[in-house]
Amino acid sequence: MSTAEAVRTDTASTATTAVSVDGVDMDFGTGTLAVRDASFTLETGRFLTILGPSGSGKTTLLRLIAGFQTPTRGEIRIHGQRISAKPPHKRSIGMVFQRLALFPHMTAAENVAFPLKMRRHDPATTPDKVDAYLRLVRLDGLGDRRIHELSGGQQQRVAIARALVFEPDLLLLDEPLAALDRKLREEMQLEFRRIQKELGVTTINVTHDQREALVVSDEIIVMDHGEIQQAARPSEMYRNPANAFVANFIGVTSFLDGRFDGGALDVGGVSCAGTPVSKLDPGSPARGAIRAEQVRLGAPGTTLEACDTQLDGVVDDVIFEGERLVYVVTVPALGDAALRIYHHDPAAQDLYGAGAAVRVGWTEADLRIFKKTGEPA
Amino acid sequence: MPDRSFRYPLRWHVMDALERGADILWPATFSRMTGWLLAAPAILLVGLLVLGLIQIGDASMHVLDTSTFRMSEAYTLANYADAFTSAVYFKVAWRSLLAAALTTALTLAFAFPYAYAMVRTRSATVRKALLIALFLPFFIGQVVRAYGWLIILGNNGIVNDMLGVVGVEPIRLLFNFPAVIFGLVQYMLPFGVLMLAPALTAIPEETEIAAGSLGASWPRAIWHVILPMARPGLIGAGIVVFTLSLTDFAMPAILGGGSQDFIANAIYDQFFRTADQGLGSALALMLVALGSLIVGAVFTLFGAGTLALGARK
Ligand SMILES: Nc1ncnc2c1ncn2[C@@H]1O[C@H](COP(=O)(O)OP(=O)(O)OP(=O)(O)O)[C@@H](O)[C@H]1O
Ligand SMILES: [Mg+2]
Repeated sequence: MSTAEAVRTDTASTATTAVSVDGVDMDFGTGTLAVRDASFTLETGRFLTILGPSGSGKTTLLRLIAGFQTPTRGEIRIHGQRISAKPPHKRSIGMVFQRLALFPHMTAAENVAFPLKMRRHDPATTPDKVDAYLRLVRLDGLGDRRIHELSGGQQQRVAIARALVFEPDLLLLDEPLAALDRKLREEMQLEFRRIQKELGVTTINVTHDQREALVVSDEIIVMDHGEIQQAARPSEMYRNPANAFVANFIGVTSFLDGRFDGGALDVGGVSCAGTPVSKLDPGSPARGAIRAEQVRLGAPGTTLEACDTQLDGVVDDVIFEGERLVYVVTVPALGDAALRIYHHDPAAQDLYGAGAAVRVGWTEADLRIFKKTGEPA
Repeated sequence: MPDRSFRYPLRWHVMDALERGADILWPATFSRMTGWLLAAPAILLVGLLVLGLIQIGDASMHVLDTSTFRMSEAYTLANYADAFTSAVYFKVAWRSLLAAALTTALTLAFAFPYAYAMVRTRSATVRKALLIALFLPFFIGQVVRAYGWLIILGNNGIVNDMLGVVGVEPIRLLFNFPAVIFGLVQYMLPFGVLMLAPALTAIPEETEIAAGSLGASWPRAIWHVILPMARPGLIGAGIVVFTLSLTDFAMPAILGGGSQDFIANAIYDQFFRTADQGLGSALALMLVALGSLIVGAVFTLFGAGTLALGARK
């Protein structure tokens, strides 16, 4: 490919690519990299969620994208322009911080007006814009309140309005919902989605809440130990996790450790039907993963319909979760491996108690076989 | 044996021992009184102060009989009348107020950037250096420091020597109003910084970064966000610096050389030169009243909760 061609494809791609992260490392000098070789691109108008456990490097990656820190290696571009090309106050990035960082000496409306004033928008249009964005986050009428006179969820929404009002090219959210109660959090998640769709602003959200990631995002990146484990759409991520870590982190998953025998998973001599996900050598250590909703459950001695593997088990525990039950069933044939199984009708009669004998089974497609890596997930 | 990584810190052992000791001296059944016990030193101090003030108040209402050098028996307000009508004391009071106001403004202007740099610097070495530079003059003491300035700024001092090198005639740098202000600001700076630093530490750096990401250049972030959020600290520091300057004695005495007396110098003269306890006491009480009035005015103006962040309406 000639240089001219390279330049052309580059500019062509920037027309729709809002964020491109290319081979980024971040080293705080602590011995391990906080972010290692991160690469991804995000198209304009999409909602990306970075998901991962505590300490996995999510905030670090977000701060790098915001330009608050400079990566040790690699390059970050926003709409084709290097992030370091402009000082922070000239960039068009709206950020909602983990601790909100609202201005306590201003009212809610003044907080929202602040970026308009700083960015020298026309003062004549400012009141209308402030009103419009307060309405957008459903805070109309509360503009005159000081920050400490608002509830946590309301403060949250002031922070969102403040980050959106100057119509930034990119919106960054750092676990802004983490401190809220579950009900409010789920409400705000839908709110986020509504606002984001309404304005079409490219958004990157950081969270460790898998549900939030699935609900709000167009795309998800799962991180662990500073490394991107998988980048995919929510449904794809849920159906086809790339490795055991992702399978464990998203959804409720049970694991079976054994060896890959060329076609199935061999657990202590018992062959378990399954589908290898990664390239596996016959005889190599492998880990099977199956979701709680994919394990079938039946009375002992019965034949479970369409199940490629069927085994006897004993109910170890029954967990009531409101709209469903979770059975924890141990399977003696698999070295007392524990399987978690959903039961979606807690009011039904055919319930098993702890200690009851049951039969469990699954289809070949539902048990995913991963290469076994490192410590148990 | 399991490999334990946690060791019970020595400090906790000491705390345990202290707590056992405290239990013997002050059993838990006394706990209802603990609040009073903790407040006891403060109550004692304030009580003594009030007693002293009453004594001074009493003294201020007797005039000095210049023939016998005894205080009169009769109660009178003549001392206050004297003080109020005297052009000299008016000038002294005015000078003290002006100097205190100027010193406060200048000290805050210098202390703010210093405290800001100290709080925000990423380098521990720089922070330590700034702290040491701040505390060193503290250890030297006011009188020695003022004397030091006499040597440096005097007619044969370093500054005039250097001016001489470039051919400038010696300038009188001492025994004038600016010299006193200079000395006071230099003396007050550590107080200002030490009072501002906690206020600035309390402002999360994230708030400043947020201001930047919202479009505020650094100076505008300081002006619109940091300064208003540091207001309680600025007012606290301002009150301390103002009252300390208003009642200062050494700087006007040494750097003013007798020509720049503050109220405290006038009081000193009455007590220890003229031995007119009555007039001295009257002046002292008026100084207390003046200081209280100004501090009270600041509190009413900015709210009594000024020093407690966030309690503002
Ligand atoms: N300024 C820093 N100096 C040194 N190490 C840091 C710094 N910031 C982060 N780290 C380290 O980098 C790793 C990633 O941290 P990061 O804050 O990105 O995690 P996170 O995924 O946001 O976690 P959480 O969900 O708990 O917020 C952690 O091991 C952390 O200790
Ligand atoms: Mg984080």
